[in-house]
Amino acid sequence: MSLTDKQYQEFDAIVGKKNISRDPGILDGYRYNLSHTAIHLGPHFDVLTPRGISVLLPGSTEEVQAIVKLCNKYKIKYKPSSTFWSAQGYPSDDNTIVLDMRRMDRILDIDAKNMVAVVEPGVIGATLQAETIKVGLNCHIQGSGCSCSILAGAAAWLGSGPGNLYGGWQYENLLGTEWVLPTGEVLRTGSLGYHDNSWYCGEGPGPSMRGVMRGMFGTKGSMGVFTKCAVKLHAWPGPQQIPVYGKAPAYTTKLPDNFRAFTLAFPDWQAWADTAHLLWENGIGYAAHRQFNFLGRDLKWGMIQILTDADKTISDLDNLINEPGFKEANDSMKIDFQIILAGMTQRDFDWQKETLDEILSITGGYIVECMETENIRNYTLLYLLRLGHKALNLVYGGGYDGNFGLINAIDFGSQRAEEVGDFKREWEKKGQIVAGGGDCMMGPIGGQGGGGTGLWENFTCFDSADKNSTDGALAFFDASFEYTKSKGWSGCGFEKLNSMARGYDGYATPKEVRDQGHANSPFAPAFRYQAKVYRSVNSNDMGDAYYEILED
Amino acid sequence: MALKDYAKEIERCSACSYCKWIPFDHVKSWRFAKNCPSIDYYNFNNYSARGRYLTSRSILRDEVKITDEIIDIAHTCLTCGACDVSCKICRYNLEPLEMVRELKAELAAKGNYPEAHKVMLKNIKEEANIFGISRKRRGEWAEGLNIKDLTKEKAEVVFHAGCSYSYDKKLSGTVKTAVEILNNAGVDFGIMGDAEMCCGAKIHSMGHHSEFDRLAKANIALWKRAGVTTIVTACADGYHAFKRLYPELGSNFTVLHIVEYIDQLIREGKLTFSNEVPMTITYHDPCHLGRQGESYEAWEGEEQKYKNQIVVHSPKKPRYNGINGIYDEPRNILNAIPGIELREMERIREFSYCCGAGGGARESYPEYSQWVAGERLEEAKATGAETLVTACPWCKTNFTDSLGDNAGFSVVDILDLVRMAL
Ligand SMILES: Cc1cc2nc3c(=O)[nH]c(=O)nc-3n(C[C@H](O)[C@H](O)[C@H](O)COP(=O)(O)OP(=O)(O)OC[C@H]3O[C@@H](n4cnc5c(N)ncnc54)[C@H](O)[C@@H]3O)c2cc1C
Ligand code: SF4
Ligand code: SF4
Repeated sequence: MSLTDKQYQEFDAIVGKKNISRDPGILDGYRYNLSHTAIHLGPHFDVLTPRGISVLLPGSTEEVQAIVKLCNKYKIKYKPSSTFWSAQGYPSDDNTIVLDMRRMDRILDIDAKNMVAVVEPGVIGATLQAETIKVGLNCHIQGSGCSCSILAGAAAWLGSGPGNLYGGWQYENLLGTEWVLPTGEVLRTGSLGYHDNSWYCGEGPGPSMRGVMRGMFGTKGSMGVFTKCAVKLHAWPGPQQIPVYGKAPAYTTKLPDNFRAFTLAFPDWQAWADTAHLLWENGIGYAAHRQFNFLGRDLKWGMIQILTDADKTISDLDNLINEPGFKEANDSMKIDFQIILAGMTQRDFDWQKETLDEILSITGGYIVECMETENIRNYTLLYLLRLGHKALNLVYGGGYDGNFGLINAIDFGSQRAEEVGDFKREWEKKGQIVAGGGDCMMGPIGGQGGGGTGLWENFTCFDSADKNSTDGALAFFDASFEYTKSKGWSGCGFEKLNSMARGYDGYATPKEVRDQGHANSPFAPAFRYQAKVYRSVNSNDMGDAYYEILED
Repeated sequence: MALKDYAKEIERCSACSYCKWIPFDHVKSWRFAKNCPSIDYYNFNNYSARGRYLTSRSILRDEVKITDEIIDIAHTCLTCGACDVSCKICRYNLEPLEMVRELKAELAAKGNYPEAHKVMLKNIKEEANIFGISRKRRGEWAEGLNIKDLTKEKAEVVFHAGCSYSYDKKLSGTVKTAVEILNNAGVDFGIMGDAEMCCGAKIHSMGHHSEFDRLAKANIALWKRAGVTTIVTACADGYHAFKRLYPELGSNFTVLHIVEYIDQLIREGKLTFSNEVPMTITYHDPCHLGRQGESYEAWEGEEQKYKNQIVVHSPKKPRYNGINGIYDEPRNILNAIPGIELREMERIREFSYCCGAGGGARESYPEYSQWVAGERLEEAKATGAETLVTACPWCKTNFTDSLGDNAGFSVVDILDLVRMAL
């Protein structure tokens, strides 16, 4: 498939020749390599997502509208993406135009009084945060890190991360949105529906437009294009610029005494979960994540020493884990999480710290001593506040995905953590995935509408350049999926979530496969509702299979 | 190494795009957060390290024809190395800068390069400089300075002027300051005069590796013949070539940039500044003096797997992530000059933004190259400084051209400030 010259010229007339290409060399720069990770899909060795027929870089809402209308006219699919980090942002059919939204990257407004920022798709967490803290506010940065698009996390995907504890999931922060519908019309949702410049509310008029627009897991680029959105901002009781010290990559910060990062650990999972609940009940904490455990329960202390020392490399890991004292330190944080306390005043901080101490005395938790050096504490602080090191997910061999992915009550995950870890540990013995110690679980402590839930992902790392390794990882994900299904663990199966949309060859899955998957999903009612939304705004079937629908 | 040796890396690049931004921890504003000039200007993903991995994949697998667009993708890379620093914030087993260099070399070896390269190559071959000016005039800048000619005499130290300082008359005052400082400090030094050859850094960054090897070997042979132990230069490109690239070809001379020498003289109390220079300035870290100015470390080893699938190297591989470049020395000099107020830009040291002159882009893609310089000048002006100081003739020239006759702002070489303060 390719565009005819006439079609190409029509698209060229919209964006200008500097912003359009159909050179295969350029098009191949917009293919996702499914060997390394695909976010709950692969890995599939040596498979790329399909080559688009053209790449366009629109510069305004009007250009996006014109492109979408032309696509409707010629029945050409289009796929928008803002940073292109995950496979879900790439074409899954041949006849698809890639919309690279990076030129629309302005922060349109930071309304400090109303605690709202209005952004275009190309604005990422790092740039927005750098600007909002100048006026005493912070933005939520999703767990995928500050390289990701704020808009994509809020409007098109989930947007979960360490900041959930204080700032909710990113989709909860989504306010007014400018939405180029799949047909090319523009719909302004939320309070923008009343007044042109009212970004403060994501709901209404009438039913929750946020829910209608996003659906259950976000539209994932299958339902038109979001060209602007507003997100709610949160208090930032810190300086107008985060000071950074140290040598790359072991950068640290030093913030005033009303900020502090702690690593907490617990004698058992019950204590872990009780602590998470008590944090909620008492309303303390600014960010919390079971963070460094993604490096592997058996390896994390070694890796933390590497990451916090610019002179060390990953090749030092073997020496470090064989050092005297390693086991003791590592074992002291088996069942752990990281938390940041940030007091709005020093008094507030002191109160939060006292409350934390009391919670720990009730649950039997403790502050992990080896993580208490100033260097590691401040590294953790910077890590969780800026989330600028999230590509560490791929540090071992360039490949990672999460199994036992689950959004559910904190207790639900913690009660199954050891079992899931043991299951993985057995697979690690086969040699195809990194032997991290079974439990490599990572995820935020609490979130969603005021609390209670966690999101779990048991990190599975592999070498994306080694077929044996990717095959082993894939087999493990399949086995995990079957295992959680056989156990009847509802809400699990995240590891295969996107395989309902995209198959092993990188192309969209057949409709029957999708229908079956959606019908068996605990979210089937939501997908039925989404089908109605789809039919009403996407009559030409312009999106791809990532938006979940289930016909009656 | 050749491009094909990066096949595994290509699969391991995780498409995270960190290579498009300065290390995120250091982001201070929306305006100055990006680091890769080529994707800043051209916007298509391919014009980043991430995209160049994918383009390389398609080339290696013969999945694309080499079009003008592909030639542009490769050769608009300034080889500034900013991507490399940012990638290595999280990755220990990728070398994006090396990969991009090999992509250029792969294309160049088959004649796939911009027209301007042809001219530069011809000039180098015929006159041993990229400008095509007669090689007999290379030593003219030193006439009357009474410097030893090391093709005839002996000295410990050779001062390598480089193409830019040798031929660009506008820079002759600057290079003379360098030798004046060495003279005043009583250093036993000389120059190679007409025998000096281009260091080859530029053509290396354009992918013409065999021509680079020829020049490097010729320079090394000259130095050996002259019995020198130390090479001093005032050019960042030359410094990078001698410090990082030549050792791969067996060179084992001590290499110093003039700012290291001056800083040392100041610290030893052998150089003091008597004049006040009342200027508000900002300092631009040249890529090849800063992040690419790290010392070469020989390594021979192999990739291994640890804990099943962790990709490690045995023995431990040197990690060039820019942190050990030359950053403090120029700042020490500037801070030692009375009256100078130094205001730092947002992108400095290992995550400094390029001047736009590198990789042959100044000659091949002048509009883009000038745009990059303009971007950096915007950042410099945003500090409130009135002058941008640098320590490389290529940076200075590119900035000066981009600035035009923009009154109220100037670009100077650090040596010019030193001269004013002496
Ligand atoms: C290694 C890794 C780790 C991750 N960890 C987490 C995590 O901890 N928490 C979490 O919530 N998510 C996580 N994710 C998924 C992640 O949420 C999304 O990749 C990210 O939040 C979205 O931002 P992005 O910049 O990556 O978006 P993109 O890659 O640009 O796009 C993400 C999705 O949004 C769509 N989209 C983008 N822009 C638009 C637009 N303007 N209009 C319409 N649709 C659009 C795309 O088609 C795609 O489906 C992770 C992904 C990766 C690759
Ligand atoms: S080159 Fe490095 S920083 Fe860039 S996308 Fe690949 S892994 Fe990420
Ligand atoms: S070397 Fe510089 S120009 Fe080239 S890809 Fe890296 S950051 Fe971009």
